[in-house]
Amino acid sequence: MASARRTRFLLYIAALVLTLVNLAPIVWIALTAFKTRVQIYQIPPIWIPDFTYLDNFAAVIQGYWPFLLNSVVITLCSTALCLLIAIPCAFGLTLFTFKGREDLKMWVLSNRMMPPIAAAVPLYLAMRGVGLLDTWTGMILIYTGFNLPFAIWMAMSFFRSAPVEVLEAARIDGCNWLQVLVKVMVPMAAGGLMTVAVFVFLFAWNELLIALFLTNRNARTFPVILTSFSGQAQTVWEQMAAASIIQLVPPVILTFFVQRHIVAGMTMGAVK
Amino acid sequence: MVSRTTKLLFIGPGVAYLAIIGLFPFFYSLYMSTTSLNLTRPRRSQFIGIDNYVQLVTDPLFQKAILNTAILAAGSITLEIVIGFVIAKIFYEIAHIRTVNWLRTLFILPMMVTPVITGLMFTYILNPTLGIANVLLRMVGLPESGWFGSADVALLSVIMVNVWQWTPFLMLIMLAGLMAVPRELYEASALDGAHWYQQSWHIELPALRDVLLVGAIIRLIDNLRFFDVVYIATRGGPGDATEVISMFAYRQSFQFFNMGYGSAAAVLILFITLFVTTLAMRYLRRIEHG
Repeated sequence: MASARRTRFLLYIAALVLTLVNLAPIVWIALTAFKTRVQIYQIPPIWIPDFTYLDNFAAVIQGYWPFLLNSVVITLCSTALCLLIAIPCAFGLTLFTFKGREDLKMWVLSNRMMPPIAAAVPLYLAMRGVGLLDTWTGMILIYTGFNLPFAIWMAMSFFRSAPVEVLEAARIDGCNWLQVLVKVMVPMAAGGLMTVAVFVFLFAWNELLIALFLTNRNARTFPVILTSFSGQAQTVWEQMAAASIIQLVPPVILTFFVQRHIVAGMTMGAVK
Repeated sequence: MVSRTTKLLFIGPGVAYLAIIGLFPFFYSLYMSTTSLNLTRPRRSQFIGIDNYVQLVTDPLFQKAILNTAILAAGSITLEIVIGFVIAKIFYEIAHIRTVNWLRTLFILPMMVTPVITGLMFTYILNPTLGIANVLLRMVGLPESGWFGSADVALLSVIMVNVWQWTPFLMLIMLAGLMAVPRELYEASALDGAHWYQQSWHIELPALRDVLLVGAIIRLIDNLRFFDVVYIATRGGPGDATEVISMFAYRQSFQFFNMGYGSAAAVLILFITLFVTTLAMRYLRRIEHG
């Protein structure tokens, strides 16, 4: 038994080391964000910078806050709109029976296969046609559409596991279907729906390709701004690092928030 | 009974939204891919049938992009599965320790990192002159590398970055698969005198088959649309060393404004994706039905 315990202790140490190695690149960028221009180019490198030096963060926020605002507004609004449309749809697809329902579900899922690069040109022309190029509204509408297949499919997987008897009881008590959804189903599936919301949020927050094409000045999102940090003759590494850390704040916080449901979220409910 | 109107009110908006934003781009891309649309040419675009596709198949750069995408996908997914399995086993053995939950969440953080940031981070870390990677190599007396900037190792570097970001995903789903194996199976096989590798082969692999298939499909779809990291770190270079199909389609459409040709490449990506996923889903269903 003593040897089994020692094996486990060694495995624990191994897991700890692996985790540290895996996090090292992120940590290194975080450390870089606190360095001055001169310190960036020092060899041997400075391992521990002065954490009270916040000029890089200040410079990024001062220089790029409108684009951060764009990202926040577009991400939050598209998440809300997406859930508003997806939840009733998933509810209907789970509970109501009709001819061709399974085919409709598969079609919803197949929309997920659309590579952004294939949608980019048509969406660009469409948005130009209706005058929504480079606007919050245009980006919100598009991100909502991109997230719908995932959101509907995921919400369905959570709705399916809700007990039917409770829903029927509510119907007998005189609730209409909207009341059943809002008062019974949504509270029951709240945890699952939060997961859906988080993944929808992250997609919009992290998206680059569509934003690269469809925004110019007014609605340019933060990831597009981030691309301008690379490929310049003189890369401003310290600001790049600070901007990266700012961009990473929501994903990191949300990871801890949904850690239980990450597997379900990443596989659209196929693995739980 | 649920009335037709009720059903329509619940399901209609979502389906209509998808029809507009999903079907329109699909058919429009398909249409554009059969034209000679090029925004830099004054001539009006003409219907040219499948000429774009014929040209694509014989375009050496597109062939290279297909090859690179295949190497990227095969290399990344294989490494992610192998490394992910070993790490899943480690986390499985210590799963009952309370603090391990935290450790696991920290371990999987890379997969939540914005892909643009992944590209930027490694552009800095793997920078030949001031990047920490070469500094560390020097410190232990190993030869330095050009990483993204060297034609020989650029694609390998991209694969490495990909593996860093996505091994946690495969590790996580394999861990979920391992957790679902009944303890008794291990105990019974241990009583029968099975070695650990026999247990891995006869108990764990079959249990992980479905999970692995789902994971591999998802990662394959990701790799077929792989763009952000390459766009940031290499732009397909040096030369055509890291040219992948999304990058190719992007360049045609938005750099050369050769939108007919670019659309044809994008449509091909879509068809490859649909083909692969349909095949895999059919296989999954056959397993489910025995």
